[in-house]
Amino acid sequence: MATTTAAITLTSDLLSDALSVSTTTTCMKAGTIADGLTQMDTGYIEIATGDVYDILDATALNLDKANKVYICNESTDETYFVEVTVKAEVIGSLYAGDWMFIPWGAESATSDIGLEAKTGTNKITYTLFHEGRTLTAS
Amino acid sequence: MATTTATITIASTDLLSDELALTSSATLTTAGTATGVTQASGLSRKTTSAASAAVIQANVLYRAGDYTAEKANKVYIKNTSTTAAEFYTVTIDQEPIGRLYAGDWMFMPWIATSGTKETFVVSATGTVAAGDSWDFDGVTTVSADATLNNFAAAVNAKTYPNWTTAVSSAAVTFTARYAGAAGVVTGTTAITGDTVTDLADSNFTMPITSGAAGTRSESDITIRPSVHTDMTYECMLIHE
Repeated sequence: MATTTAAITLTSDLLSDALSVSTTTTCMKAGTIADGLTQMDTGYIEIATGDVYDILDATALNLDKANKVYICNESTDETYFVEVTVKAEVIGSLYAGDWMFIPWGAESATSDIGLEAKTGTNKITYTLFHEGRTLTAS
Repeated sequence: MATTTATITIASTDLLSDELALTSSATLTTAGTATGVTQASGLSRKTTSAASAAVIQANVLYRAGDYTAEKANKVYIKNTSTTAAEFYTVTIDQEPIGRLYAGDWMFMPWIATSGTKETFVVSATGTVAAGDSWDFDGVTTVSADATLNNFAAAVNAKTYPNWTTAVSSAAVTFTARYAGAAGVVTGTTAITGDTVTDLADSNFTMPITSGAAGTRSESDITIRPSVHTDMTYECMLIHE
């Protein structure tokens, strides 16, 4: 079994006392505690203003699994950002330097994860940790 | 300026033939600037449960109408369960994003696109007498005298569970606290659920002089537990 851990640390001085939140999860297959995710896809793309892409296609994934998606906007110009969509539903804007890490159920074949560059040519890295996909014969 | 930092580390020594070690750190800033975000709804923790599996309900974590849309908001959610099969389904609008299994966490940007709030204007009209009343949203206002403007001011002074108000002379404007097509405003001059009591039979009325129906929010964040027994989540919103 592969063991993949994802840890987050949130720190801030925006409150009157220090904020510090840390947690780690081991990325497991759905409903298991001893069977880690064993497959991953990764990529790097540049998306220019106005371009709309599905970077992760739900079609071939098994539905309702414990997939995890990491996306980072590696741009450095603070005005650059992309909108992130799941099944064409905008969930949020990823600005230069921002990252996100979400579960992705791929609830239906059209639950693709997409990006639309709103400003600038955004440099995007992404990684999908998953339980396997249905491969298409060549 | 507040400095808020979110750091992720993804690591594996055996997923690939070589070690995987990914670390990214983001300083959370307001949209399109280098200025740090300054507001947060603090880390909260809640246990969900229901009487049976058949009556499990989704919980609203954050309502888009409470926040400014299209900003650099960030949401953190964790399922603290230790039972492997227990998960929360995280949904934005009507679209399921994914399942947070036991111990899993997520961190994502949030667009917070709201709908529109229902609104209507009601005007104290006719001849009001002490003891006349108007009831709406479970709140009853009783007139203390025979002055219409005073009655409107009294209506405005009440606290309504689902509405905010503003007053101008004898007219009170009601605005729903949350966006949605709640069905209270049924037309430009009609609402449901209000009751006038005209004790002196003096033609005291509270007609609706204008109104507009609302539309549902498009990005409220909800989570639905997979089981009806106790499950606990933690969450935090960092916003503008």
